Amino acid sequence: MKTLKLTDSEYLVKQGKIIRAKQMTKLEKFFEIALAGGESLDHEPGQFVMVSIPGVGEAPLSISSSPTKRGSFEIVARSVGKVTSALHKLDTGDTIGVRGPFGKGFPVQILEGNDLLVVAAGLGLVPLRSLINFVIDNRRDFGKVNILLGCKTPEDMLFGDEVESWRKRIDVNFDYTVDRCSDSDWKGNIGLITSLIPGVTIDPERTFAAVIGPPVMYKYVIIELLKKNIPERQILVSLERHMKCGIGKCGHCQIQNYYCCKDGPVFTYEQIKSKKEAL
Amino acid sequence: MQYVILKKVNFDDFITALAAQEKVVGPVARGYDNFSFQEVKSGKEISIKYIPTILPPKKYFMPQREKLIEFDKSQNKFEAVLEYDKVVIFGIHTCDLAGIQCLNMVFSDKPKDINYLVRKNKLLIIGLECNVYCDQYASCKVVDNHLPNGGYDLFFTELPDSFIVHVNTLRGDELIEKTRLFNPAEKIHLDQLEEVRKKKREIFKDEVKIGHHELSKLFDRAYDSKVWEDLDKRCVACGNCTNVCPSCYCFDILDNMNFDFNTGDRSRGWDSCQNEPFAKVATGENFRKTRGARQRHRYFRKFKYPVERYSRYFCTGCGRCTRTCMAKISLKETINALVDEQK
Amino acid sequence: MSKPKVAFFDFACCEGCQLQMANFGEVLLDILNLVDIVTFREVMSEKSEIYDIAIIEGSITTAHDTERIKNIRAKAKVVIAYGSCATIGGINGMKNKFDLEEIKKYVYRDGAKQIETLPTRAVHQVVKVDYFINCCPVYPPEILKVLKCVIAGIPYAVPDYAVCVECKLNENVCMYDKGITCLGPVTKAGCNSWCINNGNICYGCRGMVTNPAKNGQLDILARHKIPLDWITNKLDMYNKPRELDEQK
Repeated sequence: MKTLKLTDSEYLVKQGKIIRAKQMTKLEKFFEIALAGGESLDHEPGQFVMVSIPGVGEAPLSISSSPTKRGSFEIVARSVGKVTSALHKLDTGDTIGVRGPFGKGFPVQILEGNDLLVVAAGLGLVPLRSLINFVIDNRRDFGKVNILLGCKTPEDMLFGDEVESWRKRIDVNFDYTVDRCSDSDWKGNIGLITSLIPGVTIDPERTFAAVIGPPVMYKYVIIELLKKNIPERQILVSLERHMKCGIGKCGHCQIQNYYCCKDGPVFTYEQIKSKKEAL
Repeated sequence: MQYVILKKVNFDDFITALAAQEKVVGPVARGYDNFSFQEVKSGKEISIKYIPTILPPKKYFMPQREKLIEFDKSQNKFEAVLEYDKVVIFGIHTCDLAGIQCLNMVFSDKPKDINYLVRKNKLLIIGLECNVYCDQYASCKVVDNHLPNGGYDLFFTELPDSFIVHVNTLRGDELIEKTRLFNPAEKIHLDQLEEVRKKKREIFKDEVKIGHHELSKLFDRAYDSKVWEDLDKRCVACGNCTNVCPSCYCFDILDNMNFDFNTGDRSRGWDSCQNEPFAKVATGENFRKTRGARQRHRYFRKFKYPVERYSRYFCTGCGRCTRTCMAKISLKETINALVDEQK
Repeated sequence: MSKPKVAFFDFACCEGCQLQMANFGEVLLDILNLVDIVTFREVMSEKSEIYDIAIIEGSITTAHDTERIKNIRAKAKVVIAYGSCATIGGINGMKNKFDLEEIKKYVYRDGAKQIETLPTRAVHQVVKVDYFINCCPVYPPEILKVLKCVIAGIPYAVPDYAVCVECKLNENVCMYDKGITCLGPVTKAGCNSWCINNGNICYGCRGMVTNPAKNGQLDILARHKIPLDWITNKLDMYNKPRELDEQK
């Protein structure tokens, strides 16, 4: 057996240093990561990275920060598997491996000049925050912006301060809801995210909807969006699959003839509506 | 086109001479009508007449477990590696040559998989023609793999007293030159080869009730077929069908940490879309929960999706999935059932 | 950081799995760099009531066992079920096929009156288990894999697909091709088809996959003309207590 060193392997990782870490909820932890040598990740909203811990493994995680934020990027890990639970044990100053960014994100160059309706449920806010902050940082390039958020309880709301700042902005329309609530200070609605959609005023011809949430949610949200007459090709969803390689080979993320890691994770509803394994 | 001749009496010397210089593997009988590619030292160990091996020669191109990365946390070292052997593979049937061509397409598709692409050029491929069907499970004609379509350095066809060898590459030619056992082919040999091919065209007929070009169209309308419900009841998700498939390439990526908790490696290992957890995501959702859906996925990955992506069938017709299936799910029967249903 | 303290405990078992650990030789020294073994009857006479990681061999078969395992659980931060008896009930579970009083009399004759016994249970059927190391006896490479996860504080998932998967990768001739019945198709992988690599069949000592294909398996038995009770007996050799999981 001979061994050869490869300098151009797709599996090589970049070193990333955790420059800020914060437990957000019981299950979710936030990390801000700077690549070695000040290298820029150069991603698009909606793309993902493979985060790795040597000896533990790799996991696909959505990029949560906007590309307008330079010098570092942010991710949120829910502790559910081997890698994410090991990631939760890490803190500021620790090093992780990063591959990517991977996949097709939101087509921001197409969105520019159009109206936007962002629908984020639960952890869906993590990747959509990248888009929201990108739009806010380039606010005048976009038309009307509606943001709808939903999660289980007010305690589960991620990025609370940031969400409050969006709520207070005059240049975006904002609404949020929780499934249930025992907190009398809660300022938002109570009910499922779908209940917010009928209330928004949009021009369907020039509105793009960006939707991310748990798998069960898509079907119901899309029904509401279609009722609003948003064309199928203007409904953008991001699908969750367990990518292992990120380069369209390993097969884990395959949705019929699509590789979610390469052809997605952001798809138009038109692309996937006939793909029965998609939603 | 260059053809040379190796007398059958010299076959053993050929392999022995080759094995004295390089690692040579070939089909070896394992009993119970099972064969596997194994290292050989002489031609006597090789079964010239063999049915497709338990695992295809894929295992040399994409080993069951393959190191991708070596790391040393204390040194902040993280290196991509390729571990390889130079191997001469003797006796690859046309179905398995097609399987290698499928893998070549997948791994050279961008982004390229360097591990695969570098390793493949360390291997020398010697094909071997099937003059007759290996058994009733093969379906190489309908996918057009019963005759050689390239993908080899040398290609052997058995004639009455000799092997006629097609020299397809310079590397193949160098190997021939080295052994000094080959003579130029004469007209009689070329006539005999033509005779073999003529007979083959008579013997090999479409093995299913549908032709080559209609096969992919069959799958345009097969997604909601009842056939998958039948497979759902029968499949036990043992994963045999995909693990033995020459064109299945799905893998998992796994880390290993040594006991010093500093050094270790990241490797890839074969994985199967038939395994229960394959399409499961971290939050617990399984996107192909039923065995029927997973079987459908397997068939679509052979007859539909690669046709859209690479313009070729990824079924090579080798028949391994049928031979190895615990539940005796037959590829030919499945296709025929789909044809009948759509009548 | 002080090294975690590890204690071994045995319940109804042959202690062969602990022997596997003792058999490690030099690798055991690597393990001892990372943990302090404070109780391990097979290799040392010292004992300690203070431990972080409890490695449990054996199944729970008496009221006394039940109390004892609950106490261990209360003291330990991490509980590892170790070997078939602990993870799935194992061989001891065969008695669950019989009426408890009858089987007691059959085994102990006149002494049966003095014997107090309960149906055999796997450890997780009594207390919460954090890690499972299956097999009879435990498979050394898997022990190391799990111990590394325990030390790193990350979960270990026992592969939930058939032994056939690993067996095929090892390119063994299928037992069914040889006309021999093998439990590989229903048994959880993770042992790298250890037995079949060495010419033996799979006896199902790692427990069944969580979602076995009942119809499909019956179909296979019919196709191979294997009587159902024959295979059930074979399965029950290690797997009888699985019924207690199904009842839950």
